[in-house]
Amino acid sequence: MIGLSHYLIVSAIIFSIGLIGVLRRRNLLMLFFATEIMLNAVNIAFAAISHYYNDLTGQMFAFFIIAIAASEVAVGLGILIVLYKKHGSLDLDDLASMRG
Amino acid sequence: MENLVYIALFAPFAGSLFASLFGMKEREIFVGVVASILIFISFLASALLAANLYMTGEVIHVRMMDWIAVGDFNVGFGFVVDHISVTMMSVVTLVSTVVHIYAIGYMDHDRSFNRFFSYLSAFVFSMMILVMSDNFLGLFIGWEGVGVCSWLLVGFWYHKEDKPKEENPSISPSWAANEAFIMNRIADLGMLIGIFILYWNTGSLRYDEVFAQLPYLSETVLAGAAIALFIGAMGKSAQFPLHTWLTDAMEGPTPVSALIHAATMVTAGVFLVVRSNPLYAMPEVSGVSMFIASLGTFVAFYAASMALVERDLKRIIAYSTLSQLGYMFAAAGLGAYWIALFHLAAHAFFKALLFLGGGNVMHAMNDELDLFKMGNLKKEMRATWLYMGFASIALAGLPPLAGFWSKDAIIETAFNEQTYILWFMLVVTAGMTAFYSFRQVFLSFHGEDRHTPLGFHPHEMYTFALVAMFPLAVLALITGWFMSAYKVFIYHIGESVQYEMSEHTHHLAIYLGLLVIFIVLASIAYAYMKYARTGDKAWKRDEAKEQGFFYKLLKNQYYVPKFYEEFITKPYSMISEKFWTGVDLKIVDATVDNIAKFFYTTGDKTRSMQTGNLSNYLNWMAVGGVILLAVAAVSAIFM
Amino acid sequence: MENILSILVFFPAVAGLLGFVVTKESIRAYGIAVTLVVFLLTLWLWFSFDMNNPGIQFVEMIPLIPDFGISYYLGADGISLFIIVMTALMTLIGMASMGETKNIKNMIISLLFLEMTMIGVFVALDAIIFYLFWELSLVPMLYIIGAWGGPLRVYASIKFFLYTFTGSLLMLVGMLFMAYIYHNLTGVWSFAVTDWYALVLPVDYQIWLFAAFFIGFAIKVPMFPFHTWIPYAHGQAPTIGSVILAAILLKMGTYGFVRFSLPLFPDASVMAITPIAVLSLIMVVYTAMIAYAQKDMKQVIAYSSVSHMGIIMLGLFAMNAEGLGGSIFQMLSHGIVSGALFMLVGMIYDRRHTKLLSEFGGLASVMPKFAIIFGVMLMASVGLPLTIGFVGEFLVLLGFYKVSPMITIIAGTSIILGAVYMLRVMKLAFFGPLNNEANQKLKDLNARETWSLVPLVAIVIWLGVYPKPVLEPINNSVNALLAFMDEKAITKEAKDMIHVSNSFESGRPTLSIAGGK
Repeated sequence: MIGLSHYLIVSAIIFSIGLIGVLRRRNLLMLFFATEIMLNAVNIAFAAISHYYNDLTGQMFAFFIIAIAASEVAVGLGILIVLYKKHGSLDLDDLASMRG
Repeated sequence: MENLVYIALFAPFAGSLFASLFGMKEREIFVGVVASILIFISFLASALLAANLYMTGEVIHVRMMDWIAVGDFNVGFGFVVDHISVTMMSVVTLVSTVVHIYAIGYMDHDRSFNRFFSYLSAFVFSMMILVMSDNFLGLFIGWEGVGVCSWLLVGFWYHKEDKPKEENPSISPSWAANEAFIMNRIADLGMLIGIFILYWNTGSLRYDEVFAQLPYLSETVLAGAAIALFIGAMGKSAQFPLHTWLTDAMEGPTPVSALIHAATMVTAGVFLVVRSNPLYAMPEVSGVSMFIASLGTFVAFYAASMALVERDLKRIIAYSTLSQLGYMFAAAGLGAYWIALFHLAAHAFFKALLFLGGGNVMHAMNDELDLFKMGNLKKEMRATWLYMGFASIALAGLPPLAGFWSKDAIIETAFNEQTYILWFMLVVTAGMTAFYSFRQVFLSFHGEDRHTPLGFHPHEMYTFALVAMFPLAVLALITGWFMSAYKVFIYHIGESVQYEMSEHTHHLAIYLGLLVIFIVLASIAYAYMKYARTGDKAWKRDEAKEQGFFYKLLKNQYYVPKFYEEFITKPYSMISEKFWTGVDLKIVDATVDNIAKFFYTTGDKTRSMQTGNLSNYLNWMAVGGVILLAVAAVSAIFM
Repeated sequence: MENILSILVFFPAVAGLLGFVVTKESIRAYGIAVTLVVFLLTLWLWFSFDMNNPGIQFVEMIPLIPDFGISYYLGADGISLFIIVMTALMTLIGMASMGETKNIKNMIISLLFLEMTMIGVFVALDAIIFYLFWELSLVPMLYIIGAWGGPLRVYASIKFFLYTFTGSLLMLVGMLFMAYIYHNLTGVWSFAVTDWYALVLPVDYQIWLFAAFFIGFAIKVPMFPFHTWIPYAHGQAPTIGSVILAAILLKMGTYGFVRFSLPLFPDASVMAITPIAVLSLIMVVYTAMIAYAQKDMKQVIAYSSVSHMGIIMLGLFAMNAEGLGGSIFQMLSHGIVSGALFMLVGMIYDRRHTKLLSEFGGLASVMPKFAIIFGVMLMASVGLPLTIGFVGEFLVLLGFYKVSPMITIIAGTSIILGAVYMLRVMKLAFFGPLNNEANQKLKDLNARETWSLVPLVAIVIWLGVYPKPVLEPINNSVNALLAFMDEKAITKEAKDMIHVSNSFESGRPTLSIAGGK
């Protein structure tokens, strides 16, 4: 029987994959993907817990996140294109203009 | 009668204000004349008050207005005219009048003539507050007031520059003025403490109320108050160890020396002790009184010894003032308050005369004061010679002049109290006094003419100034004859001021007096032999003797000024400098700056975390998240 | 004129805003006119003040944030009344005597804002309003030092700002905690000082709160060892800045002790007597010695200021009417005298562009008027009887003698050490021969300078001879304050201390506050 803990473990594993992606990747586009992975890991956890408690709020929240993520990607990709046009690269190490 | 009190008090003030209106203008003789007239009016009012008191015996109390009132503390400007204050008022205004008139001549050529009179009259006003006040705080107003006026007048020629100590022992007028002010302030602190003690124990500062409470006070309180007030008196009356300022104060114009540093201000300390006689007469403070008498005797002797070798005319007279103040304190300490007061009055007359005579010499010799450069001045200055000789006889204490009666009474008192050591020292001092006063007279007016070869052409003082001095000469002669009358007068004040010789002393008095007269005459004769002769036997300066140990010790005032300089003035400057550069800047301020610097450098060091690299930031964020999670987990487990 | 206090606070500020549209040529006259009106209003305040009423008068209260008990709450009593009058007077005279010509418009506007904040501090009875004005006063001063100051002006102004700001933040924490306790005990929020007075606090709370307020006030006073900002501030500030700083801003600290520390924490105050007395002694003696070592005329006055503030602090903690009343009187006296001394130094600086004592000497012959006024202020500063300086200093020492004779004797050396450093200045600057070429052509005071100093000389002598009009209301309020502290104190030691310091040795109670009278 697949229980809640299995879902949560899967969610945690996916979240970790996303996190490692955030930490290791240098390309901004890849960072976006990694964040998407993390968001979806959370979505899995939300849906699973919502089912477990018989409370639809969690699933509603998951939809909400999907919507937010979509708009975020829309805006974010726009910025990426501008950045690429300006710098010719999406490598993070080249984008350190805020150095203190 | 109340109006007379106000006239006596405020006439000098009016004179001072009037003169100050012309303070920055050219010399105007009428300023001096008006000031002198106003002081004379004050004298007349004082004399009328004295006569009234003598006739009716009615003591006048006046309360002018409130001054400070906070909580239960309430002191106003109140004045009392009783036997003690009226004596002082008459003496002060009389001597002031003479000095004012004299100063019109003496300050003739000074461009700050008007300013001088405004200061001098202000001094008289302060002195009148001092003696007339009916409470200790009012006395303190006058006390500080005369201090400031003395500061202004000693430093009157403020533009003179500082000279090394070898050249001029008092450095410069402004230096001497500051020394006098600061030394007096040290003593004033003592006096303030005395006032605090009396206030918190009696709830008042009025003389009559304070004295009425005295029998109920404990011994420590009485002794504390007596000591503290006497410290105040020591400063103003230049008693050891606060005495060095008085000789340096001779930097001021001579009329100032005559009025302030001989006749009036310096006797304020004696006046304070006499004024507080109910306190000092308490049996609980007999130790303090004995100390006062001993210190007075010591100063009398100590100052006289320094006068023996001094060459500066004015400083000799200053030492003699110091010495006579010692006599007064000796009498007051032994309980003979009225004798002290009487000697104060007599001394004021002949000492002012002596100083004004010295002023004539100074005027004639273009401010040269070295006795070794004078000699045989009587040829040019006959009147001055007579005045100074006369005053010196009075100072030396030969009958029938004033000095004899009062000084003899003090010496007798010391015998009567069976303090034979004090008696002996006072007798020896009397001999020394006679010697140094006549040494000074003979060196300046007799002997070989030493001034003409040096290019001095002395001339006699203006006639009106000489005439103005005449009343002082008369008083120096006759004051002593009224001693028993004065005794009757002052005995009205109360029991504590009354003092009678025992039967035994009374019998011996004539022999004691003769002994003193003999010693005085012998000293004068010795001075004559040594300094007054001309021709082959004329006095010659003995350079070898001046290198002797005792001579140098006396000449350097027992090295006391040197001691003060080395052990007080210099260390004070040094410590101040250290406090500033070493402590305040290096420790206190540096600590503050270091705290500020710590935050600044911490910020500066951690700045490198801001690489501007997004992935770096993300890494840090992850680290932070992990730490937060860990903290949450740990607290969830253990709480 | 019920809103007289609000008018006093906001009139200078509104006038300051309007000042932006006044032309540069007439701004000085405009500023003087405004401060003159404020001064006249304070005089009106004085004359309509009920002298027999020791309590708070002219009260105004408008709730601002009722949920938290914060309200616009103003009032004046005998203690603050004269400080307000002095604030208006010194601002007026400082502005009238000002020799500054650079950016004069900004200067005048800053001064008007400063006047608002200063008066605001002294009339505020709500802790938040008090704090607001307290902090706001830093801004114009920061600007005055930083824009018109000497070569080190930026360092000096930042030091001034950050130092006092740090202290007042701790004070703010104390205020918030006080309000929190008030809420805990009564169930309602209030920041009104008069409400807080009613609160009897346990001793340990009192100690902590006293400490928090102490830091804020002590830095402002400035007490040793928090005094090091002041030599820089004075050394770099323009004349007008120093005048206002010494005359009024420092008094905010001592006023804070009277308004907050003493009535709110009577037990802690009594416990603090000895430590504060020790710090005050160090202030009196140590800074007087430092003043003696200074080479710069202005720094002598700056350090002497600290020394005199030590006397004021001592009097505040004498716990009797003599000491406390004397201390408040001394605040006024120090304000006027040190303000005048800073003005005088400024005048010579305007002429010679140096303040170094070694550059001067013999000035009395070329500038007699200047020398005379300096002499009068010097004598007031060293506490000569019949000048304003004596009354306060004498009363403080008299009052504290009852608490501790030994400490009083040491503090009393201030009359000696004060004379030592002031007479040194007098001798070095004014006496001696006129050797320096540059000094020989110096002009004496002009009409503007003379007439801005003469009123101060007149006050110095008037209040020295007849201090009654000022002392009487102070006395009433001080007696009320002591009675209140006595009633409120919970420890026996504190009650005993207040009783003892207010009675004569024979045990006869003198205290109108002990009940009776």
